[in-house]
Amino acid sequence: MYKKIVETPVKKVLFIGGGETDFGLQGESDAAIYQVLPILNGLGYTVTVLDDNPYSLALESPAATGFLRTLTVQNVKKIIKSQKVDGVMPLFGGVRALRLWDQVISEWREADGVLPQTLGLSASELHEVNDGTLLFDRIEEIGLSVTASAVVHNQEEANEMLRDLELPLVIRAHNPVQGTTRQIVDRLDDFDHVVNRVMGQSLTNEVLIAKAINGLKEVSVLVVRDRDGNCLQVGASEDMDPIGIHTADSLSVAPVLTVSDQILQQMRIQAFAIADLIGLRGVLHVQFAFDEKTGEIYVIKVSPYLDHLANRMAVMTGYPVMLVAAQLAMGKKITEVYLPNAFHEKTAIMEPVMDHIVVKLPVFSFGDLEAMGIKVNRQLNSVQKSVGSALGFGRTFVEAMEKAIRSAHFNNRSFSPKYMADVSDDELIQQLIHPQDNRVLLLIEALRRGYEVDELAELTNIDEFYFYQLNRLIEIEQSVDRDNIDADALRQAKKFGLSDGLIARFWQTNFQAIRTLARQNNIQPTYKALEPSAGEFPEHARQFFATFEEENESEPICAQSVLIIGPGAFRMGDGASAGYMTSVTLSELHRLDYQTIIMNNNAADPTLLPHLSDKQYLEPLEVSDVMSVVDKEQPHAILVPGNRKKLIEALQEMGQHVIVFPKEKHHPSGPEKHQSEFSLNFFYDGEEKHPLVVTQHRPGEVRILDQAIDPALLDDLTLASPGLYQIIWRVDLDAWVSKIPLPDLRVDTWLRPMPYGHIAYLTKVLDIPLGRMIVRAWVGQLNEADRQYLAAIKGQHETAKLAMVAKNTDFDLHLQPDKAIDLTRFEMGAKVVPYESENSDGQE
Amino acid sequence: MERHLILEDGTVFSGQGFGAPATTFGEIIFDTATSGYQETITNPIYDGQMIVFAMPVVGADGIHAEAYESTTPKIRGVVVHDLAEVSTNRQRRMNLDRFLQHHNIPGLYEVDTRKLIRHLRETGPQKATIVDVVDDHAVDQLVATVLTNKQVQNTATPKAYANPGHGFHIIVIDFGLKHGILRVLGDYDANVTVLPYTTTVDEVLTLDPDGIILSTGPGNPEDLPDSVLTLIRVLQTKMPLLGLGLGHELLALANGAEIQALPAEYHGMNHPIQEIISQQLFYARQGRGYVIDEDSLDGKKLFVTHRDLVDGSIQGIRLRDNPAFSVQFFPDGAPGPLEANGIFADFFETVADYVQKNS
Repeated sequence: MYKKIVETPVKKVLFIGGGETDFGLQGESDAAIYQVLPILNGLGYTVTVLDDNPYSLALESPAATGFLRTLTVQNVKKIIKSQKVDGVMPLFGGVRALRLWDQVISEWREADGVLPQTLGLSASELHEVNDGTLLFDRIEEIGLSVTASAVVHNQEEANEMLRDLELPLVIRAHNPVQGTTRQIVDRLDDFDHVVNRVMGQSLTNEVLIAKAINGLKEVSVLVVRDRDGNCLQVGASEDMDPIGIHTADSLSVAPVLTVSDQILQQMRIQAFAIADLIGLRGVLHVQFAFDEKTGEIYVIKVSPYLDHLANRMAVMTGYPVMLVAAQLAMGKKITEVYLPNAFHEKTAIMEPVMDHIVVKLPVFSFGDLEAMGIKVNRQLNSVQKSVGSALGFGRTFVEAMEKAIRSAHFNNRSFSPKYMADVSDDELIQQLIHPQDNRVLLLIEALRRGYEVDELAELTNIDEFYFYQLNRLIEIEQSVDRDNIDADALRQAKKFGLSDGLIARFWQTNFQAIRTLARQNNIQPTYKALEPSAGEFPEHARQFFATFEEENESEPICAQSVLIIGPGAFRMGDGASAGYMTSVTLSELHRLDYQTIIMNNNAADPTLLPHLSDKQYLEPLEVSDVMSVVDKEQPHAILVPGNRKKLIEALQEMGQHVIVFPKEKHHPSGPEKHQSEFSLNFFYDGEEKHPLVVTQHRPGEVRILDQAIDPALLDDLTLASPGLYQIIWRVDLDAWVSKIPLPDLRVDTWLRPMPYGHIAYLTKVLDIPLGRMIVRAWVGQLNEADRQYLAAIKGQHETAKLAMVAKNTDFDLHLQPDKAIDLTRFEMGAKVVPYESENSDGQE
Repeated sequence: MERHLILEDGTVFSGQGFGAPATTFGEIIFDTATSGYQETITNPIYDGQMIVFAMPVVGADGIHAEAYESTTPKIRGVVVHDLAEVSTNRQRRMNLDRFLQHHNIPGLYEVDTRKLIRHLRETGPQKATIVDVVDDHAVDQLVATVLTNKQVQNTATPKAYANPGHGFHIIVIDFGLKHGILRVLGDYDANVTVLPYTTTVDEVLTLDPDGIILSTGPGNPEDLPDSVLTLIRVLQTKMPLLGLGLGHELLALANGAEIQALPAEYHGMNHPIQEIISQQLFYARQGRGYVIDEDSLDGKKLFVTHRDLVDGSIQGIRLRDNPAFSVQFFPDGAPGPLEANGIFADFFETVADYVQKNS
């Protein structure tokens, strides 16, 4: 390693992106980077972003120069040189960026010039954080408890360890190829197999073995620290499920409800101590395990970088975590942090407090997979199985949970009271001990069948509080069930967060009838502002959530507003790109001076970023939730994802002006192994059709062909609304081509809206703002530059040869499917790779 | 059962009654902390007051033996949005509801507490009552009620008692002591004697202490007899002295400063406090209705050591000529952050110096 480091104040910053979405990586990094770029730009920094995620929004930010390149040491070095970068920000790209930058530092040679400063964390601390074991040794040295662990290099050493430690054990890869995955072994028979498997996931063939602490309570604490050691706690969240179930797969709640102040203060001080220990300038997420019997607190994971909790806390508390963290990393003191005018002047230095409850529920894809005939292991354990998450906001736990449930599921079929009635008692007990994705429903069913709270608490290691709360929910459901179409029962049910749809199901009517009853009896939601002072100060809050109380704080923003219905939680398929498309739409409408309102409940994607819209409703997206916001705001137009057929119908019946985001509910499955799927991609501006390029799609990979397209070919097509479309045909062809004869478009092809992922990819590779142009076409504001782009392209282009490849997800590790999962249908994410590169792991 | 909170300005909030079914009167204030409801409810500084919690769910952690800040809560009422019924007590099924019943304190839940807090933030603390029925009688009663200004007398110990240890001999003068202070002194193994605030210089000096703590307590410091200020004026010249909360306000008064009532009280733990000498920020539990008047501070005698960076208020002072200092906030936490614990370390360092010099 060559160590001459930049000593002058940093002026040119490189953000290393987080790469493609995956289990546990829902694009938080990109949202975080995208949010801070304008602020850093405004403070006088020149900013560059490197990422290989085609869905990245940050790469398209006007506040930075974006490079869509594979995340490699070589590319980082190249950009540092070409952009004269003197400071690198790895903490916003999560663990991948951290690891990559650590590698760049270790491979930096004299010929590479002066090494840029590492922002947020010193290079040596960064290395320790990356290593993990070194860091935990030091954490132990300052007197904090960690679970005893050891590194082993082969099966023999592992067997020796087995003699010293009792089962269950946690086994994970040291220097893992991907993010850390912990596996718990509680049967001797599994030990060899798991050690072997985990060794394969380690870059250094090293395995960490530690005593498992299953059953303890898990609490996450998020803090920030500045260069002078000033620390502030942003918030804390507790998991309902005990340790042993991955935190991402657990129901989580904030603020912490069932842990005493004394313990929370201990955790706070420990988190501060760890931030101090590593000299952090930025944000730190510490995961603790708490043993209620002994009072012992264990540090189980330390993440001194932007991760899912940082984004979630920002949405849950209203505290601008990212804006603060970025400026602290640049070396500002917390008292010097600049925030946009929308915030109270003291927001950065005041610890946010919540006067609302937020429940996070994981979103699983098991149902979608099973519908395709793929069986997976549904049992929850220490390896993450959820692909996304949704938030529910309320003023009681039950209200927040009910809203989270319908945010995570869209429909209420799977949580009606009769759903679990078929489960046998034996099965019930089995599932209580070995929980699955339907965990909450099962707990409710157990209570319904008369199991005692302390019995269940003992069996599941879930705090009694939650059972008391679920009991309240059962009471509410029973009282709704007893009274048929009754205003008082409705009032009570609404207060506990039940949706019109669910109540209608109880009363065997439709949601319109419920709406009418509610209106007749003045049962209307009151929208509460979400702001970080819990009412202490007047804030210009723009975030709201519905509840049923006395005071409403949300007033319609203006007569000409546009309401955008968000895509909700990230799911397999094009979930990540839906967030991209929604965000681009928000950004463009804002640029065109529309007042925008977003409704969404996913904290991982950028759609809820405060600067992207004028007002945010943190709400479920069921028909009745949307209707209530429409009643309140009376928007000029409503943008709805095309797969929300019922919602579109209902809004149109109300006489609303609905614009449909063209989207098919499910992609038809992609080409077979021996096939190529070709698309003639074109843009329809409402009057004319403009061909763009032809793309070739082979399983898991898309490339752009270079061939002229005659616009006259498209003359016969009639289309309902402006947008981007694809004419699709398939050919038995298992090789890449640069030209393909066009078939007879009238007979041999079919038409579909361009998938969001392709919009994102083509936008970047062709360097044409396609997403924004759709929005401009919707509102009749295409400009001259757009027309020039469209006139010029017609299939001819000069681009970097970058293919979009499906993320090579380790489904085997996470889901153990019984057959291969079709990546064209169940995509987790995508990245770009150069053609003819050795690094094209997306190919078969 | 539906019950009601009536404010002096005529505003009425309705909710469900819990705790004691009694009618109650008190001054209503709001608290924005999200943890430590039991410590807050049992803190004697809330004698004569009612609290509305911003934290929407209260009671989820039950009632714990180690979370009492006094054995008998003096608070007049508790207003929350959602009440959780959880018991962690091994002997009895004691939860927040039963706890308040036991101590004859009324509570109100299912209240739009955010609306109430936004209202109180504009009006400041108000006289209030919790009743079964809203009628003229209830309103008249509220208007006619004169809230006591004898909170310290009501709360503080009338008799001396000891909390023995093996370390320094610390006398705590009790104005409505919270247990957190004794807990921290216990951590230092201090040999503690708690004296009533009516004690005399002679009684204190006879016990030959190594240091004095003026405790936290409820109400307006100006309602206390002048003898207290005289006592402080003498003791501060004799040995190290630390004032906390009400004790801080008394130290200021004893040294010629004036105290003002705050337009809106602050009860919470999220304001940054800056230690002026080091410029370091930290957070601590605060519960204050009064503040030292900046202009009245005699710079020759006292200087400011800590400030709240949100409202700029004085949070700590120190005497120039004597080893006496005080803070407005609660460095013992309970509930609240532990970062300010260093105040006690400073105090014990001062005590150690004093003992060394005088032995």
